[in-house]
Amino acid sequence: MAKLLHIAAKDFKIVARDKAAFLILLGMPLALIFILGSALGGVGESESVDIAVAIVDVDEGSSGADFAERITEVEDLQALFNMEVRSDAEAVRAEVERGDLTAALVLPSDFSERLDAGEPVTLEVLQDPGSEIAAGIWSGVARAAAANLSAGQVIRVTVADALAGAGVPAGAQDEQTGGHDHEIELDAVVVEEAEVDTDTRVGMIDFYAAGQTAMFLLFGSMFGAFTFVKERREQTLARALTTPTSKFQIVGGKSLGILGVAAGQFLVLYIGTMLIFRVDWGNAPAATVVVGIAEAWAATGLGMALAALGKTERSIGGIGPAVIMLFGAVGGSMIPAEFMPAWMAPIQSVSPSYWALESFLGLMRGEAASTVIGPVAILLGIGAALYAFGVWRLRYE
Amino acid sequence: MGDIVTVDGLAKRFGDLVAVDHVSFSIAEGEIFGLLGPNGAGKTTTISMISCLIDPTEGDASVAGSSIRSEPLAVKRALGVVPQEIALYPTLSAAENLAFWGRMYGLSGAELKHAVDDALELAGLADRAKERVEEYSGGMKRRINIAAGVLHKPQVLLMDEPTVGIDPQSRNHILETVKELNEAGVTVLYTSHYMEEVEFLCDRIAIMDHGRIIAMGTLNELRDVVGGMDVITVSVENVSDDVLEQVRASEGITKADRSDGGLTVLTASSGSVLGKLVATLESEGAHVTSVTVAEPDLESVFLHLTGKSLRD
Ligand SMILES: Nc1ncnc2c1ncn2[C@@H]1O[C@H](COP(=O)(O)OP(=O)(O)O)[C@@H](O)[C@H]1O
Ligand SMILES: [Mg+2]
Repeated sequence: MAKLLHIAAKDFKIVARDKAAFLILLGMPLALIFILGSALGGVGESESVDIAVAIVDVDEGSSGADFAERITEVEDLQALFNMEVRSDAEAVRAEVERGDLTAALVLPSDFSERLDAGEPVTLEVLQDPGSEIAAGIWSGVARAAAANLSAGQVIRVTVADALAGAGVPAGAQDEQTGGHDHEIELDAVVVEEAEVDTDTRVGMIDFYAAGQTAMFLLFGSMFGAFTFVKERREQTLARALTTPTSKFQIVGGKSLGILGVAAGQFLVLYIGTMLIFRVDWGNAPAATVVVGIAEAWAATGLGMALAALGKTERSIGGIGPAVIMLFGAVGGSMIPAEFMPAWMAPIQSVSPSYWALESFLGLMRGEAASTVIGPVAILLGIGAALYAFGVWRLRYE
Repeated sequence: MGDIVTVDGLAKRFGDLVAVDHVSFSIAEGEIFGLLGPNGAGKTTTISMISCLIDPTEGDASVAGSSIRSEPLAVKRALGVVPQEIALYPTLSAAENLAFWGRMYGLSGAELKHAVDDALELAGLADRAKERVEEYSGGMKRRINIAAGVLHKPQVLLMDEPTVGIDPQSRNHILETVKELNEAGVTVLYTSHYMEEVEFLCDRIAIMDHGRIIAMGTLNELRDVVGGMDVITVSVENVSDDVLEQVRASEGITKADRSDGGLTVLTASSGSVLGKLVATLESEGAHVTSVTVAEPDLESVFLHLTGKSLRD
């Protein structure tokens, strides 16, 4: 056991001293999280994300003001949005078009009147097409608020893209975006859906932190596989086999080294993104870490498989990133997994990045820690299968 | 003293190639035993079988009383191995490399620290112990490669061409190191294709070619194989195959082959052969710059037994 640990420590040291490894395992993901996250908003602000939105209240009665207040006084929403109640509808529309406001909710002038008469009310959500996701969250808020307003009341919420600079007359937009109109029947199902939306506070930076971490964790496998190739080529593996050390100790030690590298990488990315980018990984740190370590194990298995498949650094450097990027892409590290076509599902189901990312995002959304048990079991299984294949096919010379 | 290493009919085939062909020898405790042969003779394969790195196709060997087939762990504990390739971690320092290999032999704590310090001293690199091995010269790497094989104080040391590709100064340092280790009680199996090294170091020598031992004994015993003969070394450029054949066919010439920078000829009658040899070479347009006649050495023994020179 002592020898196994010494071998692991030696490999950890070798990878940690490798500048290329350092760059790919830590530099690249942090840079991508920063670039992608900041391009889509939300980085660098001292508090949490701060999305500028407005509620346009031109209601002639008093229900409009009550409704607006009910939204603006919610603390969770205050943390996420910078909310203003305004009455200058045209100016707000122009600001959304320019992108100065991310979205706006417009309460019509007959809001109180229709509500009192029990007639359907139409609320309009204006959104900046450049920040669809943030605006989408806002429309979710609007729907949830509408749902709470009065059970049994039918309220239409229409979502209109404010087509910046296109000069589309305001009146024409209802037609143009007719496909986006949502008519909400206030039954239990719709309310539930709306509530999930209000809880969704996964900002862009959080999404990319989880996504890039889930993908780049697998790169540890490549450097692990490199150490096998190097040891074969530089004959240190042969030398180790002439010492009173078993193959079990050597392979076990090297595997533990890869696991250590990947786990260390995870912890640096996890803590680093929290400190640098104020990423909110959710309220179940233990569960997040368990998912990270489970994916590190999957990376260890992948490393063994790559070590068995590749004879040279060049071949591993070719297969490794291709497999990892594929796993990452179908797993949703670049584009959210729910946008993937259905035929990709089989590849998703064997992608460690997919299971890790689903778990990370779930925890970020506030899902219970116990929801990661299934994905963690799958990650451990994928790791074990790859590991077994690697050990079976590994060559020592 | 008894034999600490016995090799009994050891053979290794790689597919159709017979790399080692039923080799037998034994090494007495305290001896330096040389395995001399050209590249491809089967030296490394023999050492790899003795160190339990590869399984023999046939035969057996024992080290310190343990069989390589049935007790490999005990064999590995008794052995130190200096591989032909520099088997070190380039991005670790010399001290880190030595500490790692010491741990692989079960050393730890103060014992490990002393062993590493002693090994660095032996390699003459104590002052550069913290530098990464990749920054070392070829000779320095070789010295650490040896140090890593001896720091656990093995009973038997296997050294596979430990001086390949280094400067003369490092080579001398290494040869002196081997002598020192041997005087401290370590039995050494030393392989090389440099006959000077084997002549300088070894108590007994086996000459290997094509997987077989073709002669074995002390230096003097081996020289007797070519007793009464002389070696003529001719420095000459452009020896064509035709010329070589003509020389080989000449009367009085026992064996002849190309060697470093010219031609080596083995003859029992150097006086009568010399003039004719030079005349033959010159008449064929080869330019002779010097001729020496000397007592036979291991090179000539090899030439006599195989018809070719050790280094070709
Ligand atoms: N793993 C191997 N597979 C196939 N052939 C090998 C292998 N190792 C050595 N050989 C062959 O066996 C012969 C002896 O090689 P080796 O023991 O390395 O000789 P030496 O060390 O004397 O130069 C050579 O012809 C070499 O090509
Ligand atoms: Mg060799």
